[in-house]
Amino acid sequence: MASYASKVRRDIMRWRHAGLVDAAPEAALLRDVEANERRALSFGSILAMMAALLLGAAILIFVAANWEAIPRLARVLLLFAVILAGYVGGALLKLRGQASAGEALWIVAAAAFGGAIALIGQMYHLAGDETSALLTWGAGTALAAAALRSNPLTVAAVGIADAWLILKVGNGFDVYRSFAFPHLFVVMAAVLYGISFWTRSMQGRNLIVLSLVLYALLLALDHDTLVTAIGLAVVSAAAFAAAVAAPEPVERLTGLGGRLPLHALIGFLAAIAVIQIERASGAGFGLASAVALAGIAAAIVLGGRESRGLRWLAYLGFAFELCIIYAVMMETMLGTAGFFLSAAIILGLLAFVIIRVEKRMAGPATQAEAAQ
Amino acid sequence: MTGKRLIVAAVLLALAQIGFLGWIIAGRAAILRDGKEVLLRVEPVDPRDLLRGDYINLGYEISSIPASLIAGVPAGQTTSSDSRLTVRLKRESDGYWRPAAAWLGEAPSPPQSGDEADIAGHISAGWNLTGDTVISADYGIERFYLPEGEGMAIQYDMRVRPFGIRAALARDGTAQIKALMDGDRTLFEEPLY
Repeated sequence: MASYASKVRRDIMRWRHAGLVDAAPEAALLRDVEANERRALSFGSILAMMAALLLGAAILIFVAANWEAIPRLARVLLLFAVILAGYVGGALLKLRGQASAGEALWIVAAAAFGGAIALIGQMYHLAGDETSALLTWGAGTALAAAALRSNPLTVAAVGIADAWLILKVGNGFDVYRSFAFPHLFVVMAAVLYGISFWTRSMQGRNLIVLSLVLYALLLALDHDTLVTAIGLAVVSAAAFAAAVAAPEPVERLTGLGGRLPLHALIGFLAAIAVIQIERASGAGFGLASAVALAGIAAAIVLGGRESRGLRWLAYLGFAFELCIIYAVMMETMLGTAGFFLSAAIILGLLAFVIIRVEKRMAGPATQAEAAQ
Repeated sequence: MTGKRLIVAAVLLALAQIGFLGWIIAGRAAILRDGKEVLLRVEPVDPRDLLRGDYINLGYEISSIPASLIAGVPAGQTTSSDSRLTVRLKRESDGYWRPAAAWLGEAPSPPQSGDEADIAGHISAGWNLTGDTVISADYGIERFYLPEGEGMAIQYDMRVRPFGIRAALARDGTAQIKALMDGDRTLFEEPLY
């Protein structure tokens, strides 16, 4: 984020030279930039987190290798020591002002808790499947996040819940087991969402919303494809509309840092894609495609100005729509030469739309600048 | 959060997680120490896929239960639901323990003699409970972790010789693997901790 801060600093100096701001506001602005810059995620804290994740992975693999050179009781006690030292040492570091190193140690402790669960399973040959171990690990990590008010631990708990969901659905393809769709995930998401407000974890909340989209997609693949996908599309569109119509109340309620429209568009586009693939050779494909294109246009018109990310997601969705419509409608009619021709037309059309929209989005800003 | 409270929270959290893990270990060790010992005959599950990672999958004689053996099925119920299955094992002359009776849910009475013991199992939904079908049950002991690299030889031997598992049964029927047996020879014996 250093590049943003230095750019703002340059701009402030330029405004001062142009006489747009006085000396007092200039100083205040520079102080504010500096204060916020220090709070932003620094390179060092990212490195600390990566080191913690690597150390955590090392602990898990160490256990998985079932290495017999150290007696297993010693291994358990070692992991217990890592848990204790990680949580308490992290708290001490945090109190000394080294927040990122402290959070990193907490991640290591949470990984050691997961490793200890796996080790106990190994020691006593527990045959229960991995999903119940993940559930225990995730609950322990969520407890840790709440007790220590930690943002990274919240994100870790959401990640473990996601792994549980994916593994659970993956097991469903094993025909020898009975399979019930893991609806418990919705409860887990709700609990973690509540925890994320206490731990002030905006990243955790954003990951939860994206995970719920994933949950809906998996549910659609599992059964009642059309109904579930239409439901996801409708809910996404409603969330988008609410976020655009009343940004402030919705933001207070969801606390997603203004990213709800982006997530809603992801959910909408994914749902429509599922419907299109499901209906590729039947009635309703044309309607779904028209809804998709209208939705993309509406997203750009309603929310595109505020968010460059939303615009590019919309372009991506538009490109996907062009491809899938081509694949379904034209495939049978054209040969290879036709494919290249169509690809050229699709790319040209895409470029044309992107250039036009970007120009219009930039338009008012440029005009305002020229007026000064 | 003030400094002292954060430290206290961290200590309590660590103790809670360690205590939870220790409680699981203590429970399992108690079954090994005090549980009733039975010898179960192992049957290869799937000769091509016994070894997965660092453990072998185990199938048992008692994994297949004839539906006619199951008592206490509610009248009118023809297929199983996802439920507990209690199997009463009886020691036979060759030393292996085999099913003598079974109930959905708990057993109505405790085992009578020293040659009988109850093991708690689980059946999944959808098994036909009528006629002469054989249903498949699991007991939470279908996996045996091995030191790295020793799986292949055992996997081969299992196909040519009878193998067994010595298991300990808690009072509530929970089973815990004690040792892997190659005929009469103990291959791996598990310490308490």
